[in-house]
Amino acid sequence: MTKKGIKRLAGKVGGIKNLILIPLAALWLLTLLLDIFVVEKIFDPLGYLYIAIGIVALLYVVWPLYTGRRLVQYYWQRVKRNRLAVAGLAFILFLILLALIGPLFTPDPTAANFEEKNMPPVGFSIEESVYKAETGQFITKTTSGSWEHPLGTDDKGRDLLAMIISGAGVSLQVGLLATGIAVALGTLIGVVSAYLGGKVDNILMRLTDIMMTFPFFLLLVFIIFIFGPSLAFIVLVIGLTGWTGTARLIRSETLSLRTREFILAAKALGASDGRIVLAHLIPNVVSLIVVIATLSIPGVILAEAALSFIGLGDPSVTSWGMILRAGQQSLDITWWVAVMPGVMLFLTVLAFNFVGDGLRDAFDPRSSV
Amino acid sequence: MRKTWLRDYILKRLFYAVIIAWGVLTITFLLVRLGPSSPADKYLTNLATRGEDPTQAIAAIEARYGLDAPLYEQYLDYMGNLLQGDWGWSFSTSMPVIELIKVHWIYSFQLILLSTILAALIGILIGIYSAVRQYSKTDYIATFFSFIGISIPNFWLGVMLILLFSVQLGLFKTYYDTSIPLLSLANLKQLILPVVTLGTGMMAGYTRYTRSAMLDNLRKDFVRTARAKGLPERTVIGKHVFRNAVLPLVTIIMFDLGSIVFGGAYLTEIIFGIPGLGRISFNAIFADDYAVVVAITLISAFLVLFINLATDVAYAYLDPRIRYD
Repeated sequence: MTKKGIKRLAGKVGGIKNLILIPLAALWLLTLLLDIFVVEKIFDPLGYLYIAIGIVALLYVVWPLYTGRRLVQYYWQRVKRNRLAVAGLAFILFLILLALIGPLFTPDPTAANFEEKNMPPVGFSIEESVYKAETGQFITKTTSGSWEHPLGTDDKGRDLLAMIISGAGVSLQVGLLATGIAVALGTLIGVVSAYLGGKVDNILMRLTDIMMTFPFFLLLVFIIFIFGPSLAFIVLVIGLTGWTGTARLIRSETLSLRTREFILAAKALGASDGRIVLAHLIPNVVSLIVVIATLSIPGVILAEAALSFIGLGDPSVTSWGMILRAGQQSLDITWWVAVMPGVMLFLTVLAFNFVGDGLRDAFDPRSSV
Repeated sequence: MRKTWLRDYILKRLFYAVIIAWGVLTITFLLVRLGPSSPADKYLTNLATRGEDPTQAIAAIEARYGLDAPLYEQYLDYMGNLLQGDWGWSFSTSMPVIELIKVHWIYSFQLILLSTILAALIGILIGIYSAVRQYSKTDYIATFFSFIGISIPNFWLGVMLILLFSVQLGLFKTYYDTSIPLLSLANLKQLILPVVTLGTGMMAGYTRYTRSAMLDNLRKDFVRTARAKGLPERTVIGKHVFRNAVLPLVTIIMFDLGSIVFGGAYLTEIIFGIPGLGRISFNAIFADDYAVVVAITLISAFLVLFINLATDVAYAYLDPRIRYD
């Protein structure tokens, strides 16, 4: 095909990015259908989510960031002035590194070792009464923390640092993937609803109302109870139920954009609905999407942690909620097991909140950051 | 003119509420039916683990749930039963679900009511003060703590409160005692930790909302006018700024009930062993008691629906500026 032909085709679907996206999405769907109906296990379920989110992120986040380097630099200057946002960003990067590199240096987080159970973190020591078989008496034994297990061990002798690092990976995966699904779905529904208006808008907004009527966490508990917990499924369910807030915000933003001159001009020049939505409306709500996404990650991470905490998490992975659950059950002896995962959850949520607030201020031209 | 408009508005909202209620029921029904195991399976495995003969129960269950009927008939049955107040049978507690809920709702209600009232009162007061003294030391401290408050996971806060006040200091019992009468000081005392657990995040949120709503209104022209004509600052803040800021705040508080507070109360009840609806649903999950989990999910959704409807109607009545698109 000639260069001109590609360009014309790209124009039809709203830009070259969508032209690349469509065959890739088709390929992804084909593999998924093959996986379900013909052969089994081409990728595992989380793999599909990663590929899908990866493609979308590459085309719609990395590419625009690269082509718009000067704009990015401008916004970075503005974000940089907010010290809390920078600190939050640094913590998130640290967490990503921890989740990627940490498992190489720590023991298996699921390996129980009853010889070394109930060891406190470095710098702490506890006294517990231990039954001595030789004398038949209880004696008081003092255990101090050692550098072998910097954060101590739980009541089954599992290394807490290794568990925390494994939990960081779980929380980040859930946070990024589920938010990716929720925000993509919310944006699509919001833009379509506002742009098409009328009956479509009415139906989509009633659907949003229905979804919003279920208390979010109770709906999650309900679905996981019926279908059973696995990490990929939890990510999918959070993604498929958590889009309502995004849809409403994007809808109201699009409603105000829809009547602006550049949209009318595009219409007058004969642009198709698809092109207007993909090439004109969505790029103009991108900064809002980024802020919503950053600020929804904490809720998603907390939802997964809460699910694991009440025992509805994926039993095959060590997540922060699950560690907290184990810690709560032996609170009188191994208090540190309950403290550490909560501190990490708290810091992670705080970091994303700081970054989200910083981004919102940076994107707002009226604010004088 | 305004009267008929209000009537039309209420009718329209009622119509939407009916559609939403239908959607909630349908989604719940479909989720249960799409699930990998039917309620009957779970019931039978439960019987089998208790050493009873499952085959005897099959006919009874099929008649009870009508599971042999076609899907649309089951759907109509399900709707009909719910509308007639038949919410199913809880086999793990051997009583009708509706009776179970009648016994336990009060525990959730007292927790949510106390937390909401306290969080709203304290949050709004701090928010007003923070906005009036913008950029003062108090404002910075309040902003800092409200940031911490909204970021702290409430289930972790609950566990930490138990660790500190119950395990280490021994000030409170670690578990909620149902033998204490509801309207007594002892009951209030044992609700302190749960209310702090549930209320902290809410309070932090309300502080932030109030502060920004107050600041928005403080910059308005009518405030400048009020000050220019020499009204005392108290009147300006109390009558002109706060009255304009408080209505959206009420909507937010009501909306939070459904989106945040119910989930938070669910977790708080589990941590402190308060036998409210959250704890009942939690127990039912691990006993595979379908009817209870379905009923509590539905009830919470209907409560949200009702609260939203009531808020919208009250809002339209109170605020003449509102127009529904």
